[in-house]
Amino acid sequence: MKIIGFIIVLLCGSLLIYGTIDFPGFGDPDAPASTYLSPRYVENTMAETSVPNIVTAVLADYRGYDTMFETTVVFSAAIACFFLLRVFKRRENDEVRHYRHIPTGITLRIEKGGKIPEESADFQRIDSEWVPHDMIVNTTSRLIIPFIQLFALYVIAHGHHSPGGGFQGGVILGAAFILFAVSRNLRASIRRMGEKVSAILCAAGVFLYAGTGFLCYLLGGNFLDYSALTGILGVDPVTAHSHGILIVEIGVGISVMAAMIWIYYNLSSVGKHDEGL
Amino acid sequence: MSEHFPALIIIVPLLAAFLIAVAGWVNKRLCFPIAAASLCVSLYSAVRLLGIVLESGMVEYQLGGWPPPWGIAYNVDHLNGLVLVVISAVALLNLVANKKSIAQEFPEKIGPFYTLYILFVTGLTGMVVTGDAFNLYVLLEIASLTGYALIGIGKDRAPLASLNYLFMGTIGASLYLLGVGYLYLVTGSLNMADLAALLPQIYDSKVVLLAFVFCLTGLFVKMAFFPLHAWLPNAYSYSPSCASSLIAPLTTKVMIYVMIRIVLSVFTPEFSFASLKISNAIVWLAVFAIIMGSLFALSQKSLKKMLSYVVIAEVGYMVGGFWLGNRPGMTGAILHIVNDAMMTLCVFLAAGTILYKTKGDSFDDLKGLFKKMPFSMTAFVIGALSIIGVPPTCGFFSKWYLISGGIAAGHYGFVAALLFSSLANVVLFFRLIEICYYEPFADHHHEKEESSLDEAPATMLIPLLMTAILLIVLGIYSGELVTNVIEFAIPGGIT
Repeated sequence: MKIIGFIIVLLCGSLLIYGTIDFPGFGDPDAPASTYLSPRYVENTMAETSVPNIVTAVLADYRGYDTMFETTVVFSAAIACFFLLRVFKRRENDEVRHYRHIPTGITLRIEKGGKIPEESADFQRIDSEWVPHDMIVNTTSRLIIPFIQLFALYVIAHGHHSPGGGFQGGVILGAAFILFAVSRNLRASIRRMGEKVSAILCAAGVFLYAGTGFLCYLLGGNFLDYSALTGILGVDPVTAHSHGILIVEIGVGISVMAAMIWIYYNLSSVGKHDEGL
Repeated sequence: MSEHFPALIIIVPLLAAFLIAVAGWVNKRLCFPIAAASLCVSLYSAVRLLGIVLESGMVEYQLGGWPPPWGIAYNVDHLNGLVLVVISAVALLNLVANKKSIAQEFPEKIGPFYTLYILFVTGLTGMVVTGDAFNLYVLLEIASLTGYALIGIGKDRAPLASLNYLFMGTIGASLYLLGVGYLYLVTGSLNMADLAALLPQIYDSKVVLLAFVFCLTGLFVKMAFFPLHAWLPNAYSYSPSCASSLIAPLTTKVMIYVMIRIVLSVFTPEFSFASLKISNAIVWLAVFAIIMGSLFALSQKSLKKMLSYVVIAEVGYMVGGFWLGNRPGMTGAILHIVNDAMMTLCVFLAAGTILYKTKGDSFDDLKGLFKKMPFSMTAFVIGALSIIGVPPTCGFFSKWYLISGGIAAGHYGFVAALLFSSLANVVLFFRLIEICYYEPFADHHHEKEESSLDEAPATMLIPLLMTAILLIVLGIYSGELVTNVIEFAIPGGIT
């Protein structure tokens, strides 16, 4: 079996190398990829969409339909994770839990079926693989998270001009929240932003994208033809393209952020939403 | 509105999927009506669209209002117009039929199930409707990802089967993507019609050849063409019935459609058939696929696994028929996409209703089923007859075209394989029908237990019986289907 695999890999590799014989030169300005479609994008993007960043314009406008489905892929991944992993039916005391008695600093281990102390100022639930609260980690993340979030908003909003956009900004937003979860614990982060909220936000983000496209259709344009939004936004058709891109980028950002958080909840706790990193 | 049908087929279910995802958290009872309504809109649009295509030829829809090749365009002609109707019809029938069993199997996860279901259908219809080679890949991802989830939720070894499928599927999709990347490298375009215009000047380029090989291999993996089929039997048999009766009829058929589209509309028949001398080799592979699929099916001891191997043999029918490269062969292949989708739906739905009642699908559990579930079994028998190829069921007619294509091409190996597989199916299904007809042996020795009627609920039976009747209707009207639709789906140069 190993030998067959090796032969197939060799065959595939040599095919790939064989194909490079007829490749256009690396970075060749006369290659079809740079002479066929690109000139039109390079020359007309500003005039047609008033977006200086051509990549953003191609991504969210000329081929915005692809991007809508890329966002849907992220959404599908999140909901698939939830669908496969989430465990609902659980009894309260079917597994070992750990609590800390805060006044004395004693850690209690409660066996299966044991009596669980009520959540109070004295008792605090801790993860079984608990590491003592690290003040440095805690304080640093508390300091840094707002700035990460601010930067994420900048990345989303500034996608028109610089590298960035909804996917990148959404990932940074999600990462900020996951940092919070890592520095505290999963339960604290779920108290901040519950599973339901992340699930609904995840769907709402893509819905904003697809809904914007549908609105364009309702207003008489083709699907995702942002110039149809002129009437609602009160701008000329070219600026409407620019604004339309911003709206869908925000949708992407919301969806990607929520998907990151939702996937993290399900993966880190194996669907129990109880203990985990 | 009518010029927007190509987009509505995709967009309405897509928006519905997000609504369902939210409804799952708010009020679970809303999920099914939203899903069913969106599929109704999709089916209505598909039927109307096919009507428009029949009347006035190909329809183009520019997404975002950008003309291709700069933007993405949808192109609907006779070929994909037909496949679109089939997909939305199968999805709707299966959804209605499985409402009860979904509620039974996933009481807490109804929302995500329907969301994934609708997204899966969206992915498939999107793949079929699109005229853009990269857009096809994106929708392939959606259909695959949701498919993995729907399969992985099943019991026993379903997660492992789904993981296997994920690995194989990802390799297949990556190969396709690599092929599309190569095409972009040498042409700078992703639009199918545009590619077809640009490629002939560079047909002797090795990159084009490799692109063709990679696309085709990737699609072969995705459609479970015989040596690359290993992921399919476990994935389909361990998945929950409500998912397998959606995935089994549609995935392989849509991938065969994509193969036909790539071979005929991106590359031309002159390139794929005349200048590359691979068609004969592929038909022989298909012969192999048919024979092995049938043999493996004969050796199975549980219903769904047996049906999964039948699906593999059927893939051989269509791939072989298409690569015969003549008009009757291609007609047979395209007609068989329609017929096989319906008859696979019929037998998998029947298997689903049986499983809903018996909780086990090994052949021992099926004894005496005719008395217990006469209607489900009648539908199953009609589906089985169609798979065997008994007139007037539709399976006979596509097989007829395939065989006459084989004879016209002088490819008697393919003809022999088709006949062998029909015989194998006879053995397969009549053995099963015999098991279902007779009472369990043990019962005769105990107290005479009244084997009472214990049918599945009407919501399951009605769609199932409708599917069974459709098989006969499709058979009766297959002549009209061929002369009015499929004739126009095959390029004129092919005789």
